[in-house]
Amino acid sequence: MSGDFLTVERLAVNYGPIAAVDGVDLAVRQGEHVTLLGPSGCGKTTTLRAIAGLETPSAGRIVVEGAAVFDAAKGLSTPPEKRGFSMVFQSYAIWPHMTVAENVGFGFRVRGIARETARPAVERALSLVDLSAYADRSASQLSGGQQQRVALARAIAYDTKVVLLDEPLSNLDAQLRIAMRGELGELRRRLGFTAIYVTHDQEEAFALSDRIIVMRAGRIEQRGTPVDLHRAPRTRFVASFLGMTNILDAEIRPLGGANDMAEARLSAGLVLRARDPHANGAAAGAGAIGFRPIDVRLEAGTAEPGQGSAGVVTRSLFLGDVAQYYIRSGPIEICAHDRPRADLAEGTPVSWRVDAENCLVLRD
Amino acid sequence: MALPSAHIDEIASSGRGHGWRPAPISAETAVILGLSVLVTVLVILPLIAVAIGAATEAGGLSARSFLAVLSATRIIGNTVLVGTGTTMVAVAVGGLLALALARINTPGRALLSQLVTIPLYITPLLTAIAWSWLGSPRGGLINLLCRQALGIDSLVNLQSAGGIVFVAALAYVPLPFLLIGAALRGMDPALEESARIHGASTAAALRLVTLPLVLPAILGSALLVFVQAMGLFSVPAVLGMPSGFYVAGTEIYRLLNNFPPRVSQAAAWGLLLLAATAALIWAQSTFLGRRSYVTVTGKAFRPRTLEIGGFRHVLALIAWLYVAAAVVLPVATLIWAALVNFITIDVKLMAFDLRHFRYVLFEYPKTYLAMENSLILGAAAATCACAIGLGVSWVIVRTRSRARTYLDQVSMFPLAMPSMVLALGLLWVYVRAPMLPIYGTIWILLLAYVTHYLPFGVRAGSGALRQLHRELEDAARMTGASWTKTIRWITVPLTRPTLVAAWTLLFILSMQEISSSILLYTSRTTVLSVAVFDLWEAGNVNALAALSVIQLAITFVALAVFVRARHREVLA
Repeated sequence: MSGDFLTVERLAVNYGPIAAVDGVDLAVRQGEHVTLLGPSGCGKTTTLRAIAGLETPSAGRIVVEGAAVFDAAKGLSTPPEKRGFSMVFQSYAIWPHMTVAENVGFGFRVRGIARETARPAVERALSLVDLSAYADRSASQLSGGQQQRVALARAIAYDTKVVLLDEPLSNLDAQLRIAMRGELGELRRRLGFTAIYVTHDQEEAFALSDRIIVMRAGRIEQRGTPVDLHRAPRTRFVASFLGMTNILDAEIRPLGGANDMAEARLSAGLVLRARDPHANGAAAGAGAIGFRPIDVRLEAGTAEPGQGSAGVVTRSLFLGDVAQYYIRSGPIEICAHDRPRADLAEGTPVSWRVDAENCLVLRD
Repeated sequence: MALPSAHIDEIASSGRGHGWRPAPISAETAVILGLSVLVTVLVILPLIAVAIGAATEAGGLSARSFLAVLSATRIIGNTVLVGTGTTMVAVAVGGLLALALARINTPGRALLSQLVTIPLYITPLLTAIAWSWLGSPRGGLINLLCRQALGIDSLVNLQSAGGIVFVAALAYVPLPFLLIGAALRGMDPALEESARIHGASTAAALRLVTLPLVLPAILGSALLVFVQAMGLFSVPAVLGMPSGFYVAGTEIYRLLNNFPPRVSQAAAWGLLLLAATAALIWAQSTFLGRRSYVTVTGKAFRPRTLEIGGFRHVLALIAWLYVAAAVVLPVATLIWAALVNFITIDVKLMAFDLRHFRYVLFEYPKTYLAMENSLILGAAAATCACAIGLGVSWVIVRTRSRARTYLDQVSMFPLAMPSMVLALGLLWVYVRAPMLPIYGTIWILLLAYVTHYLPFGVRAGSGALRQLHRELEDAARMTGASWTKTIRWITVPLTRPTLVAAWTLLFILSMQEISSSILLYTSRTTVLSVAVFDLWEAGNVNALAALSVIQLAITFVALAVFVRARHREVLA
């Protein structure tokens, strides 16, 4: 319990026979932004709702500032309204029968605080999200982006320990999503609240988080800072979820040495050097490697010996700023991103290589 | 950002060593428990009572009542005849009207769609009485007029099985009309369009795509009508009893009004009815099996209108004839009979004044008592059924509580329980429960009404809750509101339009209830329908008409207030 503000221990949530969350441990420090990242159905939202008190876990403990708010062994479950959190929902959940100010001031109303006393806090929250002019509007007349801001203002208006955010940007269109992402980050820097954030969007997670926890099928797959995760995904699942399109089966042979390098044999005559940061002294054997399309370097023409692997462009897709090239090398096919180039038409022989730094050995 | 100190104390004390301690019961858990007990008492208790009542006589186990009932093959035959006849006619007419008014370019369909639902608000008792005046073999107005004009004797005889089926079907047509209409409207028109594109004619598309998709709605509404028709009391009482034509409902009434009342045999009839409806529900669910049609969703599509030629005028005529037979003629007859000094077809002898209203309002001793009881019962039953319905549906829709499945199924049982059977069960329980002295009071009627209308409350509640995103409630909890405050400040205000609609419907239905009231009322707790029935039994025709008109007026005032309120809600 080294200064952790909120800890979750061996949390499990079952829906009938299905384990939606299966033994999750995590810790969040004061003021930190932690993101639960994963595809739909991985248990991230259920974990968040269990922390909130909106789902009843079947096992585990949730501790806030040293005091348990949930403990399955003791039959303790503090109701959500007494955990001192606030939450921003995917659907915004703005109450349509109230004005904007009533929505934001609801936390004061339920605690019996007079409207007059609460007014400065409500006004401050509204000005923080640039909605001061809308205080007396009916909440049902707002656009999606405005509703999102009201939800945010409601979550920060009443002094709260942790703001839980459940895919708060996923219902916005692409441009608005990026703008709101920036505002959300800015707001958290100014107010310094602790945030637990759920998303399936890796870019959102990278942009906002201090730490990211990748989940898969109810369990935690990997955790780390955005840079660490991006540089060194440990498993095939994390790698493919974080955009490592090229994941190839390979025969792995550790090279030893301090920098955990390995040799990966993809097929006869096709050998790449790869980094293995999670090796822990693993023995040689069947495994996989992964690399990003952007890290593939292409040269038109037949490969010189030792200057890369030989291949043929089988398909090229023009995407605008970049083009996507599919290269076949014997039994394998890889994907590469580059500036659109006239010399890489389909059928062209090419040589390609990936720096060992950008090529990773992956676990299952 | 510190925890409130009281909260810390609470957590700390729970960790201190006085061993295991049950988690404190939250408001939520208490409500779930309370609702489970309540629904059990309301629904299961009378069911058990009917079974016990049927199997015991003079304190001992006996099969005598069953044997007596099973040997009354005539009445069983009559009941089945009325039940199946009414169901077939009502579903055929209701289904045809639904198709004509929801999917075909029938002239005047907007207005007709409103008009054909009006019979929901007119109790079958009044329709039956009006039609008995119009169509009884000797004194019926139609026959009298025919005899006078054409010299034909007895053109129609509604005091017969056919008459009962005719009038009961008139009353129940709105049920299949609404259910099948909703299914037709809820169907994605693309399903039919793709059948057309792949080569099906209009008729083939209807037969091969539309019909199978609305089949669950057809069977569901048929079952609903059948349960009502098997346990029917008012229509066969008016059109059958005078000529000695008895069905189960009237037989139960006769057995209980005998001296001494033959409770056990009445209960055996109730059990037989229950067995029949239970068997049918089982058959229906087996037949439909796992066929769940997600294509028929709650989503509102804009249904494609089938453009047809001259036949659309025939459809419009059928709809208008239905409105005339089920609404205009009976109501006009009642108003006429309430205003005319005495019933005659001789225009020269007809004189109109308000003497019957004067009699009913100022001299007939039961009017005020019945009106007061009916209004109180209507308001209380509607309120209770909506409140319990919202609570039960909240548990069903929002929780994963183990009570969920139980509440979901048991709260729908009353749909399969003829209200006479329910009343029999209540009678049996509360006559011999001296610690709960509600027999002979208005409370036993309230129990019957609330139980009978509980499924409507639950349906309305779950419809409203399913449309209310659960995060709206979650957001309140996360903003510091307790469960109780969340329900009060978020759930109830946001489901109010649906609840108001359900409340009005249940108020009107309760105001008209007779099948269970006729078994449960006492002289102090008489209600409007019973008062009307008393006047009918006493042969006081004009006073009866006046009281009926008053009952109808109350109903339509309630309806108008509701429609206005809803308009305001929409405009606001």
